[in-house]
Amino acid sequence: MAMTETRPAAASAEDAAPAPAAPVEPAGLAGWLTTSDHKRVGRMWIATSLAFLLVGGVLGELLGAERLDSGADLLKDGTFPQIYTLHAEAAVLLFLVPFFIGLATYLVPLQVGSPEIAFPRGSATAYWGYLVSGLLLCASYVADGGITGTTSTAVDLYLLSLILVAGSLAIGALSAVTTVLTMRAPGLTLLRTPMLSWSVLVGGGLLLIQLPVLVARLIGIFLEHHLAGALPDGAYDGIAWFWSQPTVYLAGVFAAGVLLDVVPTLAARPLRFPVAGISVIGLLGILSIGGWVLDPAATDDLLYVGMGLAAVLPALALLGVLGDTARAGSPRLVAPLVLSLGSALLLLAGAAAGAVGVIEPLELAGTTWDAGQQHLVLMGAGGLAAFAALWFWAPKLWGAALSDKAGYLVALLVLGGTVLLAGPDLFNGASEDLPRGAIEFDATDTTKALNGVSAAGGALAALGAIVAIGAVVAAGRRRGTADADPWGGGASFEWTTSSPPPAHNFDETPEVTA
Amino acid sequence: MSTAVAAYDPIGIEPAPAPIPGRRNVLLVGSLLACAAGTALLGALLGGYFSARDVARAANQPWPGENLVLPNVALFVTYIGLLLSSFTAQWALAAIKLDDRRQAYLAFASTIGLGLLFVNGMTFCWTRMGLAVGDSPFATHMYAVTVTHALVVIAAIVAWVVVGFRVLGGQFSPRNSEPIAAAIVVWHFVVASGLVIWWCLWFLEGGPG
Repeated sequence: MAMTETRPAAASAEDAAPAPAAPVEPAGLAGWLTTSDHKRVGRMWIATSLAFLLVGGVLGELLGAERLDSGADLLKDGTFPQIYTLHAEAAVLLFLVPFFIGLATYLVPLQVGSPEIAFPRGSATAYWGYLVSGLLLCASYVADGGITGTTSTAVDLYLLSLILVAGSLAIGALSAVTTVLTMRAPGLTLLRTPMLSWSVLVGGGLLLIQLPVLVARLIGIFLEHHLAGALPDGAYDGIAWFWSQPTVYLAGVFAAGVLLDVVPTLAARPLRFPVAGISVIGLLGILSIGGWVLDPAATDDLLYVGMGLAAVLPALALLGVLGDTARAGSPRLVAPLVLSLGSALLLLAGAAAGAVGVIEPLELAGTTWDAGQQHLVLMGAGGLAAFAALWFWAPKLWGAALSDKAGYLVALLVLGGTVLLAGPDLFNGASEDLPRGAIEFDATDTTKALNGVSAAGGALAALGAIVAIGAVVAAGRRRGTADADPWGGGASFEWTTSSPPPAHNFDETPEVTA
Repeated sequence: MSTAVAAYDPIGIEPAPAPIPGRRNVLLVGSLLACAAGTALLGALLGGYFSARDVARAANQPWPGENLVLPNVALFVTYIGLLLSSFTAQWALAAIKLDDRRQAYLAFASTIGLGLLFVNGMTFCWTRMGLAVGDSPFATHMYAVTVTHALVVIAAIVAWVVVGFRVLGGQFSPRNSEPIAAAIVVWHFVVASGLVIWWCLWFLEGGPG
């Protein structure tokens, strides 16, 4: 203990409750590489996932161009199926799920009033694992890997990197879920917890039990390929279930959480029935449990049909809860609200398409109907909700609001693009029995025209993503210009601290008193 | 001359932030969630095993394989040893709660030792069977399940070694035993999953009984 000659100066009134100081982190690149601050890690998750979104979008456009005509042969032999699978993996496992994990990593501690995330070093490790394995996954395709690849070592690399991606996402989800369960501020009961955090609890919990199933299947595929030299039957289906019915509604869980936070704040009216909001999230979660469809006979099961049909209910209920809140309040038609409404509508459309798709006599399974439905839920509902979250929480994330005009443009491009992309696929699947992912098909004039519309829709949606990323980059240059509560009336803790928040989030421990 | 006491600040760093209020069993809840994920992983691997077995039996192929002799005695001893470690793990928590450090050290050492014996026993059983990975669908799936489980056991041993060193450092007390409770949850999980695997892979395929 040190001794001094003079008495320390008495603290002034302003100094009475000083902000907790942050551990000193290295500046510059070293700081980013070694950080365990949930805000930095969350921003890295989000930025990386947006970069992978661009990859997925470009690949989607290549697929659309190839399908303009049967046997168009724009791509080399064997490349089409590789691009097809990488497009799906990039969209779901490298963009959508990591984006929401990044959003959770950044926002959940703020929403629950905690100065940090649970297992901060685990969360940072999960991010680096995701980045490295995502890059390895792309590299394996370059080396002629992927599930349809012909170079054995590249296929092995593909499977191992996919295992690492899934493991990293699971650790990221574990960190966020534990934060919701254990680090809430005094008075913040689970029922009072904001809806985004609720969706992280449900969606993250589902990731924790579904990603290991994906890993187990990948281990099986890897062993058979590595030792027997051939992939087992249905290898791709063993991976693609993760973005097919019913697991596809996992995107709806996160989307519902975003929408149920955005709309009440912008309508200046709390949810009248928060339990209804939680129920919607929970029901979507239950209906998205999908590892069991790995059994080939499962799609003939009554449970599969029932879950597909029932998915319409939470989508309708979500619209009802949001509509009730908007009607009771005075909503401002700003970009996050427009993006949210688009997301809710496309979730309903996707759920309706999914309900029709499971009706066996219609024989839509395996046709482009599936692709149309997946695009509606994943790109439409999930993607628009991601952009709504970016616009809504931009003041916290980047310290500056995103351009409202750019937000309207993104809503128009992604909403319109998704409808144009998915609509023709639904029609081709229903009326022409066009097989999903086929490069050779019965190319009637109608089919070719609709495929052209679909490709144009994909291009519009990709343009929307580029505009969104541009708006984020532009906001990053205006860092520090946002108010603590720019929307006025934000009811959760993140709006009580500055934008962007200080190192330890809150100057004083927040507490719910009412 | 008056003296005053100042905060100890040897290298000029700012003070650490205040402890997080309302923090409730973070490590314990995280461990429970990790166990849930582990259950899903091992459950899905077992699902793949049974699926392959159904396919083989439908095609009238031998399962687990012709002339394959399971080392049942060695397997029994290996898994019973793992089961015993559950009791020693619980003993560690009881000892900490009684603040009996000598017993805590003994319980930790016993648990880690039994865990290492399990890993050793499994490698012995694999060797005795003489099956190579990929020899048959049974071999492939058996190794997928048991090697994954053995890796989980090794991870649990590492966790116990870390917690054990902290016990040696005197970090835990009857009022601060959450990390030990978390380590015990993980240990009970690896033991329970090991017994399920023993039942599914060895007992059902012609084990003792």
